[in-house]
Amino acid sequence: MRLPSRFGHPGSIRRRLLLFLIPSLLLLVLSASALTYFVALHVATSAYDRSLLDPALDMAANVRMDSDGPRLALLKQAQEALLYDHEDTLVFQIRAPGGAVIAGDDDLNLPPNLQPGERSFFDSLYRGQPVRVAAVRSDNGLYVQVAETLHKRNRLIWEILAAGLVPALLIATATFVVAWTGVARGLAPLASVRTQLLGRSPQDLHPLDEHRTPDEIAPAIEALNRLLAQLRESNDMQQRFLANAAHQLRTPLAGLQMHLELLLRSKLDAELRDEISGMHVATVRASHLANQLLALAKAEASADDSTSSAPIDLFAVADRAVHEWVQRAIARDIDLGFVLEHTYVTGDAALLEELLDNLLDNALRYTPRGGAVTVRCGTELGHPYLSVEDTGPGIPEAARGRVFERFYRVQGTPGDGAGLGLAIVKEVAQRHRATLQVESREGSAGGTRIVIRFPAAALEIA
Amino acid sequence: MRVLVIEDDSLLAQGLVRVLARAGHAVDRVETGLQADKALRAAAYDLVVLDIGLPDIDGFEVLRRLRLRHSTANVLVLTARDAVEDRVHGLDLGADDYLTKPFSVTEFEARVRALLRRVSLPAGAVSVGGLTVHVEAKSVRCNGAPIDLTVREWALLELFMSRPGRVLSKELIAQQLADYDAQLSPNAIEVYVSRLRSKIEAAGVRIRTVRGFGYLWDATDAAA
Repeated sequence: MRLPSRFGHPGSIRRRLLLFLIPSLLLLVLSASALTYFVALHVATSAYDRSLLDPALDMAANVRMDSDGPRLALLKQAQEALLYDHEDTLVFQIRAPGGAVIAGDDDLNLPPNLQPGERSFFDSLYRGQPVRVAAVRSDNGLYVQVAETLHKRNRLIWEILAAGLVPALLIATATFVVAWTGVARGLAPLASVRTQLLGRSPQDLHPLDEHRTPDEIAPAIEALNRLLAQLRESNDMQQRFLANAAHQLRTPLAGLQMHLELLLRSKLDAELRDEISGMHVATVRASHLANQLLALAKAEASADDSTSSAPIDLFAVADRAVHEWVQRAIARDIDLGFVLEHTYVTGDAALLEELLDNLLDNALRYTPRGGAVTVRCGTELGHPYLSVEDTGPGIPEAARGRVFERFYRVQGTPGDGAGLGLAIVKEVAQRHRATLQVESREGSAGGTRIVIRFPAAALEIA
Repeated sequence: MRVLVIEDDSLLAQGLVRVLARAGHAVDRVETGLQADKALRAAAYDLVVLDIGLPDIDGFEVLRRLRLRHSTANVLVLTARDAVEDRVHGLDLGADDYLTKPFSVTEFEARVRALLRRVSLPAGAVSVGGLTVHVEAKSVRCNGAPIDLTVREWALLELFMSRPGRVLSKELIAQQLADYDAQLSPNAIEVYVSRLRSKIEAAGVRIRTVRGFGYLWDATDAAA
């Protein structure tokens, strides 16, 4: 199974979430600040407009009707005071009902049509400059306009824009960060499921942890666990069947072997002896194979079973092997030696004995008479190890990678092995999280050394 | 000697009975645990060959009941090769030795001989190959000619003869001989073993060295 390791994968949930979340959030922030801007602008404009109306009304109130027509009864200084602004230029204009300019600036355009007593605000141009105009029509029909340049209004627009946009951008940035980390945190349980799945060995059929999975993927995990349970079940059945079959085979084989051996002791003619001897060899092979199949089934089964894990002294494992194998070594005229130190590994004693038995069986099988086989155990750089070396012909370079495969036999080798011994060694080593190393030289100066290195000891037994 | 074979597989049991009978023992055979228990209550056996997997009560229970009655019969347990727990459990319950199935006739004979020799060792003279040992008189004859052994060599000879066919580690030898001497170094043991070896060599008894581990009293050739 391949899972995307990075956020950029097209199928990534994180990417999909962020692709939706980030543009939506940005749009939301922008429309909110636009709305703020228009509302604030409207409020500010009407406030400035009201203050622009005051000089227009003052002007209108100071128009006197003389014999020669209407006249503005305000001194120059008073006019200037009315129109004073520290930022903008203000101009005024008074027109008679007919449209003739009575006082003020000629360059202001004609006001819109107003009823007496009505007032109006509008944008206009004064000598090419944009201006805001307040226009009033007095009860006696005169038009009074006051126009003002847009400096302070523009400044206010920028201030509102700045005041609105900067926080909005800050909020947008913060939201982005929150969304990014939030999505990451929200997806953390998925990541933990992914780690669980990637970290397990192919043989590990334990259910995934359902307690820490979020509700959204719980059904998927449950389905996966059901599948794993079914697999485990059928695996177990297969192993039980194999173990049972092998177990049932052993007793009749032991009886058969015994009778053939007894028969071989009696007086037989040469031809019959050869035949019975062949049957005896075949029976011994069959028993050996039954034992190995059983060992393989047990090694696989216990990969699933942590109860058989206890601290085991490799010295004790090797010590038992001394008694098991010394007679066979003597019979084959092989010098069996031991260099042992106490060292502890966590595991299954029966399987470790099986491992050593198979290494020794292999070594004794392929070492010529007069050779030597040495078992070593101890601690190297904090790691317990167990090794068996022989003075046999060595394993050809090309076969070295394959000797741990089931039923693989190096071509041209003597003996009657089924090719299961080293497969059992590999299975048991894996079960103990140990590594396998094969050092071998071919030819007369040959020899093979197989080293099993265990994980650093967790505990030391006094 | 009187031997009881407790084995439910008839083919294997027949073979065991035949081997034991040919060696000159009086052999009885039963197939179930309850029959075995009954037989063991009725008669005193020198050796019991006990299979663990029996149809009714298992071999452990038979053994447990036997030892509860303070029987000193030698018990050789037959177990499956992969059943380490069985082996350990059997020895804990008082089995004297075990053999894993399948085994060769020679292997079985060697174990039986070793166990029965244990029975006979304290009684006067014992013969192994050309070696005749009078335990009480502490005298040894090699092919009829008396040989002199030192105290430590004698202790070593006794130790080997009490556990024939077994590999004795140097640690065990040092432990057993410590009664006679202060701490013994592995080198000292090598010296004693090689002296004893040279004195009894002519009798056809070999003390084999298991490199890096210890020694094996190999009387199989001589006794066969």
